[in-house]
Amino acid sequence: MGKLSSVWLFSEKKERYAQLLIAADILGETINAIVLDGEDISGSSGFYADTVYSLDDRSSGRCVENYAETMAAAIKKDNYATGLLLLSTTKRDKALAARLSILLNAPLINEAVDIRMEHGVLLVEQRLHGGLAIGLKKIHAEFAIATLPPGLFTATTVEPTRKASCQTLPLDYLPPHHSIIRQEHYSKPVNSVELAKAKCVIGIGRGLTAQDDLQMIQSLASCLNAEIGCSRPIAEGERWLGRERYIGISGVMLKCEVYLAIGISGQIQHMVGVNSAKVIIAINKDKNAPIFKLTDYGIVGDLYTIVPMLIDTLKS
Amino acid sequence: MKIITCCKLVVDEQDIVIRPDRSLDIAHAGAKISQMDLNAIEAAMQLAREQDSIAALSVGGCLLGHSKLRKDILSRGPHALYLVQGDKLADISSKDTAQILALAAKRIGFDLILFGEGSDDIYAQQVGLLVGEILQLPTVNAVSDITLDGDSVLVKRTLDDEIEVLRLPLPAVLSVTSDINVPTLPTMKAILAAGKKPVVVWNEGDLGWSPSVADIETISIRALNQAERKQILIESALPDAVGMLAEQLRKSLNLVS
Repeated sequence: MGKLSSVWLFSEKKERYAQLLIAADILGETINAIVLDGEDISGSSGFYADTVYSLDDRSSGRCVENYAETMAAAIKKDNYATGLLLLSTTKRDKALAARLSILLNAPLINEAVDIRMEHGVLLVEQRLHGGLAIGLKKIHAEFAIATLPPGLFTATTVEPTRKASCQTLPLDYLPPHHSIIRQEHYSKPVNSVELAKAKCVIGIGRGLTAQDDLQMIQSLASCLNAEIGCSRPIAEGERWLGRERYIGISGVMLKCEVYLAIGISGQIQHMVGVNSAKVIIAINKDKNAPIFKLTDYGIVGDLYTIVPMLIDTLKS
Repeated sequence: MKIITCCKLVVDEQDIVIRPDRSLDIAHAGAKISQMDLNAIEAAMQLAREQDSIAALSVGGCLLGHSKLRKDILSRGPHALYLVQGDKLADISSKDTAQILALAAKRIGFDLILFGEGSDDIYAQQVGLLVGEILQLPTVNAVSDITLDGDSVLVKRTLDDEIEVLRLPLPAVLSVTSDINVPTLPTMKAILAAGKKPVVVWNEGDLGWSPSVADIETISIRALNQAERKQILIESALPDAVGMLAEQLRKSLNLVS
């Protein structure tokens, strides 16, 4: 007991279903998955929904936001006492979730860092103040919606309770009040950088004054076999590096052995992204920079002197 | 064209003090305009032509009463500031905020409403989208570029794996991301002019809104458990300090020296 009567799930991305299915298995008595074009979402995870509802992807023109009315109708037909809809944290899934929040009169929690039942009550946790704190919230509504970031639930700790889905049903398309229609679309340039998997990462911030200085950082990175990331002003303001290299609460969260912060002041939103680094080292010319309270080792000094010296020392 | 740009005044997280029991002390924290809302205001300023008007709109509690913060918003360019201010409005839910903003926007009149994607304090990432849905208007998030095109807007959306361009008929509601622009700093002239611009203050009753039963309740707010850090400052003179740094790096990374 202590489970929600009905958990629904959907994502525009097939690979995000595995986690949603695990969460649904833990939280709900019945699991209803909504999928695009009869997609087989169970794959190799071994987790199944009880009922799979299929949407014809051509109806939406590949914009899943257009499915809100269709999904709301299906959910409202369901005889739940308590329910939950889970989606992933892609931009589209969040846009769809917000529409459904109004259509279903259900509170929406984005990027839940934990979601669980305790004594029959649904609890959710989310980051606050740029990652400084965690807020614990209790859901009072009969139906709630949550978007889950990747990695929250893994198959290692839970055994699936179902061996297969019972049925797959098509859903009739109910057009939205305004359809989103694409004029054009193109893939973002593929970036092969995997900052989250790098052993050593160098982060650069506003302490760097010119884009050419990146060459010096690149030399240092070569010595250390390191990847290069940055703070938000570098990725979005100066645009010296792509947004995929932005380390922080709405960017990459590192899990590296060493994070070397060069010319970074240490704002909370950025430092949350490096909290899981084993060792944090900082170089900054301001001894009062907030970063020094969050590092293992720090040097106060001019990076333009220290970095070349460091490169020479490492090469010798 | 009339543009409304919504903004939120939030506690400056850099000023928050963490108590020994990890609860937050915000009593002495300053306040600021949420960062992405500055992007939204800047986007409005860049879109607006000579004949267009921009109204800033905000919902909140006592923070909205600070004249310094009101002037800060106006110094960014909007021609007028509308505030829905009330003691009960300080920590309301995203949906309550959206309902109030929708009522206020209808009262003010608009062709386009701009939002930041999410606020610095809660980053719920939904108020703009909720307002659009409540008003039954075309609404999207992740907006990284906006161009006016007759009676529609051409919107570039930077999604996770792709970029799409949409044409949305006006009136529309857009939530912009922080990579849409770099907010310009107000000039001295703009700061001085801010004090002379109109400020309209309503309370929730003026708009006919009253709170409904809360569907989410905050149980606790606790500072994140930061990993313990050594906080060692290498204070020797430079060549030695760098030597120690190199040594530490080699050790931590198992580098062959």
